[in-house]
Amino acid sequence: MIVSKYKQSSNSIILQVKEVSKAFSYANGQASKNHIVLNNVSMDIREGEFVTIVGSSGCGKSTLLNIIAGLDNPDSGIISVKGEHKTSTDPGRLVIFQEGALFPWLTVSENVEFGLKMAGIAKDKQREAANRFIDMVQLSRFADSYIYQLSGGMKQRVAIARALAMDPDILLMDEPFAALDVQIRDMLNNQLLEIHEATKKTILFVTHNINEALSLGDRVIVLSPRLGNIKREFGIGLPRPRDIGSPEITVIKRQILNALEEDFQFARRETRAETAQ
Amino acid sequence: MRWKRTFNLLEEKHAQKQPSKRSFDVSDAANIVLFLAVFVGVWQLVFLIGIWPAYLMPSPAMIVTTIGDLIENSSLPIGIGVSLARLAAGFAISLGIGVAVGLAMVKFRGFGKTMSSFAVGLLTFPSIAWVPFAIILIGFNDFGILFVVVMASVFSVMITTYSSIRNIPPIYLRAARNMGANGFTLFRHVMIPAATPSLVLGIRQAWSFAWHALIGAEMLITTLYGLGHILSIGREFNRMEDIIATMITVFVIGIIFDRIIFRKIEERVRSRWGLDQHSE
Repeated sequence: MIVSKYKQSSNSIILQVKEVSKAFSYANGQASKNHIVLNNVSMDIREGEFVTIVGSSGCGKSTLLNIIAGLDNPDSGIISVKGEHKTSTDPGRLVIFQEGALFPWLTVSENVEFGLKMAGIAKDKQREAANRFIDMVQLSRFADSYIYQLSGGMKQRVAIARALAMDPDILLMDEPFAALDVQIRDMLNNQLLEIHEATKKTILFVTHNINEALSLGDRVIVLSPRLGNIKREFGIGLPRPRDIGSPEITVIKRQILNALEEDFQFARRETRAETAQ
Repeated sequence: MRWKRTFNLLEEKHAQKQPSKRSFDVSDAANIVLFLAVFVGVWQLVFLIGIWPAYLMPSPAMIVTTIGDLIENSSLPIGIGVSLARLAAGFAISLGIGVAVGLAMVKFRGFGKTMSSFAVGLLTFPSIAWVPFAIILIGFNDFGILFVVVMASVFSVMITTYSSIRNIPPIYLRAARNMGANGFTLFRHVMIPAATPSLVLGIRQAWSFAWHALIGAEMLITTLYGLGHILSIGREFNRMEDIIATMITVFVIGIIFDRIIFRKIEERVRSRWGLDQHSE
């Protein structure tokens, strides 16, 4: 059995999530109920690591990412980057959203320059950085196009270029390719791996797709909606690009599926109990 | 026929690059000409049947002459100039006040809620009903007319500003804040452009409210000039030619602003913002 024998990266810890909890209240009939999404979640991410977080919908993976980004506040717990306690959002932790976060009133290169403009960087430096990263995602031909002229996959590549241009400590990717079809997604995943190789960025990548999580991550973290916490964690010490059908991957995949299935069964029992009341 | 296929491909490529519609369409123009011909024809027919005497129902040709006369004695150019100047002043005041109050409504939640129900109520209030109030408070002068124009359009601008900003997709704001935008930079570089398509729509509507109110107010608050004034004098002296000529002028000005100027701006914004992809 392959259990957590990932190569312990010797790099220093860049991001620390310490005992983060978050609950949402929602109305159920007359009563207002409290739903605990994250329950004392802790994790350490090392510099240059590519970590994927996988879980079924509603397990709080996006909430966790938003809290790490500083776009949501946790009820309790601490986010620290390079040992520094963070309470608000900043360009050091940039989110790449699932879709629709590019600005339609700007061209591709103006979108990529946006963050640099906000940071008050000189115009020619903005252009330079934008050109470099638009080139990296192979969209130079479309630098002056508007967003509506691009396909879904191209849009996400612009979003990646826009994030990279700001040189963040950590890239937070919230199911960035979930809305795309399978071939495009595989292509973008490979391109992302190349970018990771070239820039050595720390990446935290949230997905509900197990194959995607397994082919990308140095480490795969499985979140459970039932626990509101990390259920299991797997280190994938295999070289990339990975064969998703290989025996090593298949064994881990089986374990992840089992873990998710347990939660699924549990959720079903709970719903039944609730309807019976 | 290889060249033909290449050509088609080129054309397709071109079409993709320029999705905006051609500005001039032959069949559209033919339809307009046909419509005008039928309209003028029916009018001429009514004139020829002679149900009304010619001084009550003049022919199209008589109106053309009258328009010529009114241009020659400069009452029409002056009327257009004065009316448009009033419209521009009134609408500018409406934009200034409306946008400012609208922004305050976004900023202060409680005020926004109360003010928006109040303003929505006033949207349905007929602008002509402000006239007696304006006459007594301000008098028979330009400011009285301006007051009515402003009251007719300012609430529409207010509501538009308020709702356009509140309806900005939250993801733009999240992404922008994440990239370091806040306070004024967020407002200037994200909120304003993100709200623009809906702002343009609302401002077009507010303009049309202002235009309606202006002509009404000019008819009732008599000053010496203005298109509404020509209409009102025409009724006073039974000059049907003047009335119809002025009505046509008012119609044409409305078309020029609404269909041509505002529509062009709107189309441009919509295509740039990518809101027209599916209507092709």
